[in-house]
Amino acid sequence: MPNRSSSAPVLTVEDLTMYYGTRSGDVQAVDGVSFAVGRGESVGLVGESGCGKSSIAMTLLKLLPENGRIVDGRILLDGTDLAPLSEDRMRTHRWNRIAMVFQAAMNSFNPVYTVGDQIIEALETHIETDPDVSMERVRELYDLVSLDPSFIGRYPHEYSGGMKQRAGIAMALACEPDLLIADEPTTALDVIVQDRILKELRNVQQKLNMSLIYISHDMAVIAEVSHTVGVMYAGRIVEWGETVDIFKNPMHPYTQTLMSAFPSVTGPKHELAMLGGEPPNLLNPPSGCRFHPRCPYATDICRTDEPPRVEGSGTHWAACWHPLEA
Amino acid sequence: MAAYIVKRVLQIVLTLFVFLTIVFFLVNAQPGDISRLYSLDPNLPPETRAQMQELFGVNEPLWKQYLVHLKNTLTGDLGVSFSLYPRTVADVIKERLPRTLVLFLTATVVSFYLGFGLGKIIAWRRGGWVEYTSTLGGVTLYTVFTPWFGLMMIWLFAFKAGWFPIGKFLDPVVWQDAPSDANTVFNLMLATAVVLSLITFTVFLVTGKKRLGMARALQAGIIAVSVVIVLGVWLSSGVGYLAWDIVRHMVLPIATLTLISFAGTMLLTRNSMLEVIREDYVLAARAKGLPEKAVRDRHVARNALLPVVTSFVFSLAFAIDGGVIIESIFSWPGMGHTLVAATVSEDLPLAVGTFVFVGLFVLLAHLAADILYAYLDPRVRY
Amino acid sequence: MVIDTGPIPNAPSLWRVRLGLAGRSLKQNWSLFLRTRIGILGLVIIVFYMLLALAHPILMNTVWDERIYDPVIGFAFDETQQPAPPSLSHPLGTDPLGRDILSQLMFSARSEFLLGLLAAVVTVCIGTMVGATAAYFGGLIDMLLMRLADIMIMMPGISILIVLSALIEVGHLELALLIGILSGFGGTGVVLKSQALSVVVKPYIEAARTSGGGTLHIILVHVVPNLLPLSFLYMMFTVTSAIFSEAVLSFLGLLDVRMSWGLMIHTTESAGYLLQVGEYWWLIFPASLSITLLCSSFYLLGRSLDEVVNPRLRRT
Repeated sequence: MPNRSSSAPVLTVEDLTMYYGTRSGDVQAVDGVSFAVGRGESVGLVGESGCGKSSIAMTLLKLLPENGRIVDGRILLDGTDLAPLSEDRMRTHRWNRIAMVFQAAMNSFNPVYTVGDQIIEALETHIETDPDVSMERVRELYDLVSLDPSFIGRYPHEYSGGMKQRAGIAMALACEPDLLIADEPTTALDVIVQDRILKELRNVQQKLNMSLIYISHDMAVIAEVSHTVGVMYAGRIVEWGETVDIFKNPMHPYTQTLMSAFPSVTGPKHELAMLGGEPPNLLNPPSGCRFHPRCPYATDICRTDEPPRVEGSGTHWAACWHPLEA
Repeated sequence: MAAYIVKRVLQIVLTLFVFLTIVFFLVNAQPGDISRLYSLDPNLPPETRAQMQELFGVNEPLWKQYLVHLKNTLTGDLGVSFSLYPRTVADVIKERLPRTLVLFLTATVVSFYLGFGLGKIIAWRRGGWVEYTSTLGGVTLYTVFTPWFGLMMIWLFAFKAGWFPIGKFLDPVVWQDAPSDANTVFNLMLATAVVLSLITFTVFLVTGKKRLGMARALQAGIIAVSVVIVLGVWLSSGVGYLAWDIVRHMVLPIATLTLISFAGTMLLTRNSMLEVIREDYVLAARAKGLPEKAVRDRHVARNALLPVVTSFVFSLAFAIDGGVIIESIFSWPGMGHTLVAATVSEDLPLAVGTFVFVGLFVLLAHLAADILYAYLDPRVRY
Repeated sequence: MVIDTGPIPNAPSLWRVRLGLAGRSLKQNWSLFLRTRIGILGLVIIVFYMLLALAHPILMNTVWDERIYDPVIGFAFDETQQPAPPSLSHPLGTDPLGRDILSQLMFSARSEFLLGLLAAVVTVCIGTMVGATAAYFGGLIDMLLMRLADIMIMMPGISILIVLSALIEVGHLELALLIGILSGFGGTGVVLKSQALSVVVKPYIEAARTSGGGTLHIILVHVVPNLLPLSFLYMMFTVTSAIFSEAVLSFLGLLDVRMSWGLMIHTTESAGYLLQVGEYWWLIFPASLSITLLCSSFYLLGRSLDEVVNPRLRRT
């Protein structure tokens, strides 16, 4: 595991709250989330689907659908709050400062333009206007992600899934962003390709000393790429800490279930835990601790009162009334 | 790409044969043979009747008649017109086809741009009264009783306002003592239009890869200069006033045909845009920080164009019917007007000949749409 | 909404089950339909013209004197000059031949509905059979039917009808048949085929085949009923094109009909009143507007049904 950087954070998210307005009321997709990402640090966000991971990514870029709105909170990028920025100002930050590798990178390329043109498009929007210089930069990027430069002028449908994902990473790196958000970039790939892409991503991140937010539902993947892990449940971060700490001493019952949902090859044999029930309906989330309807340790206080933040070693904390002992 | 086009051309040729077969059986499906119609016409000179009977070969077996029909059609020998005797059908069509082409192509191109542009804007302003009224307006134009709409246009802009002539191709008063005849002038106009479009097309093709601002200026400059030159040549040629007379007669039918055709494209573009807008690459384009207009035009509209072009084939039949109606309302002496006039005056050879050409035109337009689609969609091209 | 439920093995109750399901989905879809404002607008216009059509025979038998108000051979003796402007006894005036416009309008409404219905039924019969056959058999039959469909789609219908009217006498019946054939073998057939393709791969088709069901039986009992909801939607567009074509042809004087909206304008034209829209508006507006409104209303109805059936077009 690489050393984490200790400099001032690139991104500080404070009390971020984002709702989707629907016919039947507001869906509280992101609710009072706070965290920080240091320069060169790699943070993993993990949780079931529908827990608000992707919503956070979209909120950071302020790419919300028409019914989504930031209700509260600040998104500080090197001290600048993005939340109140106008669409025009925000546009200069997108990709230039915060770039993204999409969940379905295979579909994030427009089928009617060559991949090279689409990377150049991003470059031209923010930095370069000379076509020859842009082209040279695209070649560098292709080298960086181990793609054959002869594919620059090809169309997306001529790329394989893994190649498209690499091209997606190359495009994300085009403007040398301070922060890269990777939203489940490998889920649609087969395991071997997935592994290679992950390694590539980690190499590039270290080489460029770039901050990374990696979003996944898969604890194993997160463990591979992240220094720090945030566990999300129902629009909130329920546990946060260095990867080692979280894996050694999970404090939140939900984290424990997530981790035991996949088998460890080296660890002791145990039953794979299955989490009963469904993720809560965020239109009308449970009172108190949002996890209480599914929590085996839940007591009365969990149903009525918001859980307190319990500190562990270092930066490790969890929001729980009954944190697990180490 | 080449294989695709060859395949398409073969399909079109096959379709052409099926089409000609259908026409043959339509004509022959009546009781008795076709010469009955001719021999009943007392105005017909006997030698023409004999000529007709020989031409149609009514005494031959059916399969032989069919082959003759194919041969005649493919060699352009479509018989002699009744109502315009002694002109041959081919001669009449040769004169009138360009007139229809100009009317139809201009209206199609303009209505496509108009419909696509407006559909793009409506889709971007989803909901609210803009969408509601334009959808309703579009549907009204799409389903309006075309003859009535044409009539209203004539009444309003030609009869009441007097801005344009009431129908027809030219004003005989203007053409008294004209140095050349209408067809010559019109063909010259046509040639001019073709040259201008070629220049425009080449300019866009050559400057397309260049930097945006410069390309715009270059395109506008070259096109403006060529338009000025062409106008100068026409004005100094001495027949400029005649061309102007034809243009004056053209404006209203083209405008009417454009108005009734653009709505379909507009409604379709809107739906197509709304589907493309949900694609991941549109989100990616936004994330790249592209300006809203670039996202709309370069990414959403560019892909929304594909189904619109595909359905052009569907709308083609609609547009041709519209053209036929508009031509007869405006007495514009093109193929559509000829078709109706020939039918009303029971000039069967002319009616069938015109119809064959309309069918041929549809097939060619279909082919053009297919090639355009291949050009627009790299997934087909390779 | 297409019901994809497999049939219950005992055949007699099959239709009852289908009807029940259809009724249930109808109720659900009705509320969806109510949200599409344009659909409601279309429905209101259609009902209005239906009432007009129904009222005509009643009026003829009670209030209206046949000699004056007959739409074809009546003559307004009570007016001094023809065409007479609208008055109390003739709310929409009379035409150049002294016939009551309102009576003509109402009389024609009925034949427009009959024409549209007939054309739609023919379309659906042909379209479902073409779609089901092409999807069920595939291969050569599919290819031939689809090539034919290509031609039908590309054919300008009104131009064909114009040529045909030079060859045969075209009345309402022939018109309905021709439009039904054009649309059934053309666009409607293609759409229904793609729908049928998703039906023929359903397990119950395989089950019916292995249990020894005859081809015709399977197509008629299992495939066709699943196509009906969608074909109902395409009926609306056929009605629009039938009414429109009828109006154009009778306006051009090429149709063999006693009275229709298009013919009313044709009469106006041959009497030379066509460009006197301002002075003789009642000769042109009632008929033209009726054609436009009824065509639009069926089109609007079809579009909003499309939104109900096709979730991709639905608003969130």
